[in-house]
Amino acid sequence: MSKETHFADVIREHQSLLYKVTSIYTNNEEDREDLFQEVVYQLWKYFDTFRNESKISTWMYRVAMNTAITQLKKSKRSPNSVPIPEYVLSNSETKDEVYEERLKLLYKHVNQLNTLERGLMLLLLEGKSYNEIASITGLNPSNVGTRISRIKQKLKENMTKS
Amino acid sequence: MELEELQDTWSKMSQELEKQKKLTNEIILKMTQDRYQKKFSKIRNYETVGAIICYTIAALTLLNFGKLDTWYLQLCGILTIGFLVILPTLVLKSLKKIQNLDILNGSYKKNLVVYIKEKNKLLKLQQISIFLSYVLLFIVVPVTTKIISNKNIFLTDVKPLQGVALIVALVFIFFLTRWGYRGYKKVTNSAENTLRELED
Repeated sequence: MSKETHFADVIREHQSLLYKVTSIYTNNEEDREDLFQEVVYQLWKYFDTFRNESKISTWMYRVAMNTAITQLKKSKRSPNSVPIPEYVLSNSETKDEVYEERLKLLYKHVNQLNTLERGLMLLLLEGKSYNEIASITGLNPSNVGTRISRIKQKLKENMTKS
Repeated sequence: MELEELQDTWSKMSQELEKQKKLTNEIILKMTQDRYQKKFSKIRNYETVGAIICYTIAALTLLNFGKLDTWYLQLCGILTIGFLVILPTLVLKSLKKIQNLDILNGSYKKNLVVYIKEKNKLLKLQQISIFLSYVLLFIVVPVTTKIISNKNIFLTDVKPLQGVALIVALVFIFFLTRWGYRGYKKVTNSAENTLRELED
């Protein structure tokens, strides 16, 4: 298998991961698509450097999140309002209003977090362990634990308020 | 809504996303190549506009070549047309080669070598263009004066206003070329770093 076919297979396999990371850090669909393309480009750039020492998804989270943060710095924007991507809403045949309402609420809570917290929240929601989060973010596991406790506390307060 | 509920909602969203995988290998590869090319498209657009202006002036000079009635005016005309056609063509050719580097199929080292070679060629061309733009100023003035006003500037005295206009033009060219060259260096260095990062 050629390198580019292997790369495209990896991206295709993990496109939902990339959608989730890029949607967490952008304000609108246009920015999300732009960030998505930049992430794919960065992944291609570093594809040769992936040494199978960690899971490919761990490496992809790292590159995607770093790229998102770099893009935010460049554009000097803060990801204030995260839209809910249309494609993740249930389709008309299986319309689930409870799910859609919860999804809106989820994004509303995500909106209230800062850039680092968003990243940690994303990984927490993805069901990653503290060690995996540490490996992706470069924080040490105990630091991850402390920060996640704070995020949970913050979320709890926001949920009580709303 | 509790954290567990947030996680459940997120899981459902993940499942929806998994169901709706839209990207194909072709789209992914094209997206990657396009992204690289986009980094160069701005400078190429500027150069294309510049080249069109140069070609138009060269064409107008060629159409009015008959008005240049002395050997030195004809020499100035030939040099003007030569500069205005050759330099932009070389720059566009060099830019095209850089922009079309096959970053998907070519090896890193191969691409880097081609890139650095083309980058140096492009910068050298820019240096030559900067020098020649001063020379061009002195050869294009007699040609345009003859074509537009039918006056041989070599046989008439230079008026003070014309002298001032020439100095202003020289200062303008100095700042314009300096700005342009810095822009080039910035873009090419940034792209070179991009390629170098592959090795890190």
